[in-house]
Formats: sequence, C-alpha cells, structure tokens
Amino acid sequence: MEQFLQATIIGVSLGTQYALLALGFTLIFGILGVVNFSHGGFYMLGGYVAYACVAHAGLPYPLAVLVAILATGALGWVFELLLIERLVDDHLATLMLTLGLYLVMSTAMLEIFGPLSMDFRFPVTGALRAGPIYAPLENLVVLGVCLIAILGLWLILFRTDLGRALRALADDRSVAMAQGLRPKILFPAAFALATGLAGLTGALVTPILSLSPGVADPVLATSFLTVILGGLGSLGGAALAAFIVGIVEAYSSVYFGGSIGALVLFVLVLLLLVFRPQGLLGREIRGA
Amino acid sequence: MKMHTTTLMAALAVALGATAAHAQSCEIKVGAMGPMSGGAAQWGLAMSGAAELAAAEVNAVGGIEIGGKKCKVVIVPYDSKYTADGAAAGANAFASQDIHVIVGPVGSPEATGIKPVAARNQQLAWNAAYAKNALEPKFPLMFHIAPAPAVWADPMIKQVLKTFPMKSVALVAPNDQAGTDIVAVDAEKYRANGIQTTEEYYQRGTTNFAPIVTRLLAAKPDVIDTASSPPGDAGVIVKQLRLAGFAGPIGRLGGPGTEEIIRVAGGIDVLKDFFWYETVATGDPKVQEIDALYRKFLGKDPVGGTALWGNLPAARMTMKAIAAAGTAEDAVKIAEAMRKLPVEDPNMGKGYWTGGKQYGIAQELHFPFGVGIIKDGKNLGVTRMEAHPD
Amino acid sequence: MTLIPKSRFLGGAEIAAVLVFVAAFAVPAITKSVLIYSILNQALVGVVAAQSVWIMLRMNLLSFASPAFMAIGGYTVAIAGQYEITDVFAMTAAAFLVPALVAIPLGALVLRLRGTYFVLVTFVLSQIMQLLLFETPGLTGGSNGISGIPPATIFGTELATNRQVVLFACGIALFATIITACLTRFFRQHFAAIEENEILAESLGLVVWRYKALGFVVAAGIAGLAGYSLVTMLLTAHPSSFDSGTAVDFIAYSIIGGRSSILGPIVGTALMVYATNLFGTHGQYAQGLYGVLILVVVLALRGGIVGTVSTLLRKARGA
Repeated sequence: MEQFLQATIIGVSLGTQYALLALGFTLIFGILGVVNFSHGGFYMLGGYVAYACVAHAGLPYPLAVLVAILATGALGWVFELLLIERLVDDHLATLMLTLGLYLVMSTAMLEIFGPLSMDFRFPVTGALRAGPIYAPLENLVVLGVCLIAILGLWLILFRTDLGRALRALADDRSVAMAQGLRPKILFPAAFALATGLAGLTGALVTPILSLSPGVADPVLATSFLTVILGGLGSLGGAALAAFIVGIVEAYSSVYFGGSIGALVLFVLVLLLLVFRPQGLLGREIRGA
Repeated sequence: MKMHTTTLMAALAVALGATAAHAQSCEIKVGAMGPMSGGAAQWGLAMSGAAELAAAEVNAVGGIEIGGKKCKVVIVPYDSKYTADGAAAGANAFASQDIHVIVGPVGSPEATGIKPVAARNQQLAWNAAYAKNALEPKFPLMFHIAPAPAVWADPMIKQVLKTFPMKSVALVAPNDQAGTDIVAVDAEKYRANGIQTTEEYYQRGTTNFAPIVTRLLAAKPDVIDTASSPPGDAGVIVKQLRLAGFAGPIGRLGGPGTEEIIRVAGGIDVLKDFFWYETVATGDPKVQEIDALYRKFLGKDPVGGTALWGNLPAARMTMKAIAAAGTAEDAVKIAEAMRKLPVEDPNMGKGYWTGGKQYGIAQELHFPFGVGIIKDGKNLGVTRMEAHPD
Repeated sequence: MTLIPKSRFLGGAEIAAVLVFVAAFAVPAITKSVLIYSILNQALVGVVAAQSVWIMLRMNLLSFASPAFMAIGGYTVAIAGQYEITDVFAMTAAAFLVPALVAIPLGALVLRLRGTYFVLVTFVLSQIMQLLLFETPGLTGGSNGISGIPPATIFGTELATNRQVVLFACGIALFATIITACLTRFFRQHFAAIEENEILAESLGLVVWRYKALGFVVAAGIAGLAGYSLVTMLLTAHPSSFDSGTAVDFIAYSIIGGRSSILGPIVGTALMVYATNLFGTHGQYAQGLYGVLILVVVLALRGGIVGTVSTLLRKARGA
C-alpha cells in the first residue's frame, strides 16, 4: 500500500513536469503547425542559463529561473521570426529547421560547458514525511510552479486578446488573417511562449535531477510520446496525457522494473493509436 | 651591421638542431583510441593522455631502437565515439596509416566492434571494457588494460565489510552491455560472501530515478550498489535515495567518476556512507606522481583523472614490447614479447597477468587497486589493495 | 517537373545512380588503401539507409524508423549466421523480406496517421526496437549483441578480407539502388501526387494508402539491406549500432543531398561521411555541422545540393 501511495506521489510530480513540456510542444504545433525538434534543447538551455546565473553571476535562484525563461523565450522569438517564418507553411521544412537548430544548440552547450554534469543544486531541500512515505519539498515547489504556469497559460490563451488571436490562428489561419490578425507578430509570440515554458521546466527540474548535454534527448522523446497520446494540437489532451504518462511510468517502473516499465508505456500508446489515431483528445489533423 | 656572438651562436644552435632532427628520421606510430567527444570523452582523452605520456618518457631517452636506429614514438588519436562502428572504423583508419599497435579502445561496444576488424588487420590492441567477452582466445592480439569485477570484486567486498557490515544488497545499473555484465558478476561475488542480492536495471535515458528508488527500497536492502551506472545517473540515484530516507551505505563496484557523483548528488555529506572501486591505488603517493610526470614531460595539465593513471602501465608496457620485439609493424611478434614482460610498473608496483580463469586467455593486467571509503560524510581515503594472481 | 514520363522505368538520374555503384566496384582495383575502403564502406552502408528515408520523403513523409528496420535486417543475418547460413543471395533476400514483412502490420497501424503524427510514431518505433533488443537476450544476445558472425559466402567462397567486404557492400548498394530507382520511377506520378496534396489526390481517385504502404514496406526492406551491410562490415550485431539517434544522420544525408532526386541521398551520404571522417577527434562538431548544413539547405538551397546544381545547370542552359 505504501508503495502504491509513493508511486502515486511520484507519478503526479512527473506528470506536472511532463505537462509543462507537452503544453509548450503542442502549443507550437497547434498554432504554427511546427513540430519542434529543438524542444529538448530549450529545456537544456534553460537549465544551463539558470546554472550560469547562479554559479557564475551569483544571482539568487529565483532570479536565475526568470533569466532562463527570458533567454529561452527570446531565442525562440528570434528563431521563429528570422527562420521559421519564411517557411511556416511547409511542415517538413520547419521540422528540419528545428532539428538543425537542436543540433547546433546541443553542440554549443557541449562546447561551452563540457560533457560532464554540473554542480547545480535546488535551494530547497528535505521532504515531508509520513512514515515511509515521503514527498520531497523540491518536487512540491516545482509542482506549485508548474500548476501556476499551467494556470497562467490557460489565462493567457482563454482570457486575453492575445490568446484569442492565437487560438483563432490555430483554428483557421486564413480566416483569422482576413479578420486582421497579424501572424508576423503572433507567431513569434507563440513560439516564444512555448520555448519559455521549456526553459522554465529546465531551470526548475535540472537541479533536482542532473544537468549535462545529454538531458535534452529523453525530454524530446517524452514530449513526443505525450503529445501523441494526448492528440497533437489539443492543450487539454497534452495536459491529460502528461499525467497519464507520468503515473503509468511511475507505477510500471515501481512494479515491473526499469526496462519493462518503459516497454509498457510504449505498448499502451501504440495500442491507443490503433483504436484512436487522433489521440485522446486530438482533433482530425488538418490536411496538406 | 655587426654580427653579435649571440646571434652567431643561435644560428649555429639552430643548424645543429636541424641536423640532429634529420639524424633521428624514423618514426614509430602508435594509435590511441577511445571516445573523445560526448559524455564519455574523458575516458578517451585519458587513454590518449596515457599513451602520450608513455611516448614522451621513451622519446626523452632517444626513442625506441628499431633496426639499429633510434625512432621517435608518435601517438595518433582516434575518436571511436563509444560505438562499435566507431571502433571498427578507427581500426581501419589506423591500418591505412600502417599502425599496428593500438592503446585503446575504452568501452564495451568499442571492444566488441574492434575485435574482428583488428584481427583482420593484424593489429594489437588494449581495451578497457568490462564486458564478459573483453578477451577471447580467438583474438590473441587483444589485451585487457584492467580487470573486470571477477578479479577485484571479492577482495573489495571483504575490505568493505570491515567498515560497512551488510546482509543484503540491491544492485542497480542500466540495461546496456556495460551494466548487465558488471551486475551479474558483482551479484555473484556478493552472494559468495553470504550477502543476499537483488538486481534492478533501468532503461538507458532515464533521468528521474524516483520510481526505481522506490522499487529498490521495497526489498529493504542494507546497501545499494550503483555498479557501473554512468556517474551522472549514479549521482541522481544517490540524491533520490537519501531523499527517500535511505540511510544505509551506497556502493559502487563499477567504474570511476566519484567526483561527478558527489557533484550531482549535492555534496559529500549527502553521500554520507559510500564505497567505490578505484582502478589504481589512488592514495599511494607513488601513483599520484604520475600527474607530476605528465606535467614534466608534456608541459600541460593532465586530463582524465585516475583513468589516466590506470591506462599508463599498458601504454608503457606497449613501448617495452615494441622495443623487445624490435618491430612496430609485426603485431604477432609484439604480442609474443608483451606476454613475456613481467607485470611491473615504476609507479604502480608489481602486478600479475590475469584473465585465464575468466576469459581463457591470460592477457589482462592486474595491478594493485583501491577501495575508497566515505564514512559519515568524511572521505577516509583510498585503501591500497594488493594484486593477486588468478 | 514534367508530368509526362519519358520512361516508365529509368530516367537520367536513376541511370546515373546505378552507374555510380557500378563504378564503385572499380575502387578496390584502383587502390589498396584501407582508409579509402573504410570510408567507402561506411558510405555504402549509409547511402542505403539514406535511400530508405528518401523513399518516404518522396511522399512527404519523414520516417525515423530506419534504425529499427536496419536492426531487423542485421539481426536476421546474425542469427542465421549462428546456424551457419551465410549465403549472400539467401541472406540478401532475408535481409530485405523480413523487415518488409514486419513493416506490413506496422504500416497498417502507422500509415493511418498523417504527416507529423507519422514522424513522431516512427521515432517511438526506433526506441521500442532498442528495448526489444535488450529484453530478448536469448534471441538477440541482449545488450551484448551477437559477435563473431561468420563472413558472408558467395558460391562457397568467404568474403573475409577488407577488399571483399567493400565489394560486397557495393553489391548490396547497387541492388538497393536498383530497387529504389524502379519503385520511385515507376510510381513517380503517384508519389508526387501524394507529396503535393494527399487529400486532393485521394479525391481524384488515387488509392493513396496502397502507395504509402508500398513505399513504407519497400523502405523497410531497403533499411534491412543497410542493416545487413552494416553487420557484415562489423562482423557483429550490436544494439549500439542501431541507436535511434542514427536516424538523424540518415535524414540529414537525404535532405542535404536533395529530396527530389535519387542522386540526392548518394551525394549527401558521400559528402557527410567524408566530412565526419575529417573531423577526427573533434567528432562532437560533426553533429553541429549537420545542423548548420540542414539550416542552410532548408533555407537557401531548396532541393538540397543536387536540386540546386540541377537548377543552376538548367539556368545555364537557358531552359
């Protein structure tokens, strides 16, 4: 029973982290139609920027996280504006562009920081304990920040003009443009929002786990899996799927062990796709 | 313009130097192979660093005599990227440069990849892999730089038991070749010492080990051993184990990387009680001298930490074997000469050729090694453990 | 792009591609350099894998599944080798057919998904393959792989030396190119229609799923051949050779070389394999170079190297 409770606690904290990542990824796809191969790269960049602020500039951690969000958001904005914008209708081309960006980013981080893990610690230590069951305080802090971020994202998208504009562009771009919405400003904003979220997650989670150039790849794989499950383009689906992935990963790893656990997750996702190709809450994919 | 005597002397010196360089016109090329980019780069750099130091030592006394001429040893590095194809491509690249002796490669996939290709090219190589098949009788030109747990796990466990008594241990490692081969042997040696074992594997690419930690703790082990998990992963495992309330000792019957583990875990006080295997007796001042030697002969700071020290005896013996065989091209002759060399190193001390029992071919160097202990958050140092025959 | 096919079976590019590999057979006769053999062998393996990616790109589908099908082909040969079955013709057929057969049910699942979904799912397939390799040690040797595979034999003679292995790789590459050329040339219009606008094509009566399935299955078979070539070069079938990250390399070769012509993957592979070997001990920069080149090609050199060159030639001719 204790194992079950512990696994649940772990699953929920995994779920919130995955949710932030999946939301950013699906936001870019839903609004721009771009599959962002550099998503893991922005997570890693967020971690490194926060680390550099703390270790080299001596900034306090919360400020470092803020700088990380701004840095990753800014890079995303610039990248979208200068590069993706030219080819935004060609989905394969934009995918390749983000892939190219990721390769360049990860080589740059490797060059600057080296291949080994950094000494990057989360400022809050310790855990809440009830017998053998524990909830690390750092996870609770991250849980809190993630929930606030998700709430903030929801507010932006559903309660502001910017958000309404983004959603309109996602629904039908030509009509939205006919209505006067300018994608030249809105697309970079959407991209920046998503990469900023990835950077936030990186700045928060890498001190809890580890920070090295190798952390980007698993993040991408998890984001892919989560949005496939949730349905590309659906924010609700992404959030729901993130929690499902987190909880399934926690339970299957605890009860079946590390290798089988991963297989269980993949098999579940594949099975779902057989019966429901658009994912849990996905819409029918737009045609070419 | 008057010609100063100093200018004249300088010109003379340059002329003499040039003729001297011309006189030593032969070169022996030796390959150094390992991962030199990416996460395992320090191991590859440690391999080439050791080869370069051994070469510099030999060149300082004029080089190796081949066919009556003193030849300078040049080390040619190759990045095998920790993959089988990388190592195979490296062996072929070396063959095209007429290089028949290779110091390296480092990891299990690399050892697997190089063996058939080096055999085809008739090249001698030294691998540092922990794989079950690091040596095979059908590859007589393959040598092993340091032994796998089969040789040192048992004496190490007995030594650790003096500080950390235990009745049960849970081993954890990734499910790749380096992980599974090591854990199997470690578990066997623990059991031989009357300790109960459980084995857990995790998927390569796992970043959050909290579920694995929960599973490890379910068996309520006295000790948890991270075996050959990469240091980045091991650091997170240690961190999350302590957070979960595990107060017992954590061990590492596996590879190097303790500094990185301490960094990732968040400090030596988090590790609290920790024991680890060092390929060399790092506490021994004669061994520590190697860094000074590196600076003296190569004029730069050493890379690769203790792995550099561990690779050095093999590199030095390679130079001796080439000298004894009188050739740098005939790998079979060099191998014959190598097998006859006593296992002795000026910094490491005396060792043995091992491997006969485990692989069926005794071409593995076993020097004194180290067992490191951290108790109550204090580094008690590395105990020197003497080598023993198979 | 003209819609009137000059020949149903072989166009200029296809003939050129086939000739490249026929010419490659001459290399071992011209030189004895083991380095050239090594680079050539790597390129010959890579080009077949790049062709597998390219076939799907003809329909505007990006597949990350090439390492998975390469693994199936490679391990099939390795396992057969343990039973002393090494005949080159039998193994070529097996290396093509086994992955192709596996691709049929997988394709039925995966091809229902359009565009970007397809990409993500094929990515996941490669990860699943790695897991399967580790979890089936009895069959695949698990994390150790299968080492010491007996060399391929042709009419009873072993192909054991470096030279012979290069010739073998030339043969596999030639065979793969012929299959790829015939497929993409014969169905050029159908693939092109799907690439342009899948829904429109379907509404005009094209039974889209048939061609997608055909492409996916043949691409899987081609990837299997690449796996056979790789495993023969190494004499080992090891999980690290089929890591999901290698898919990025093959995709890069195809895109940088040029999507629109069969010469694209050939040029891309030759260039990138050579460049990677040049990097030597600074291998980490190779990935960065791929990234920069991908950005340049996608932004400026539409059509990749081959596409750009042919556009320039056309302009020069005043067409």
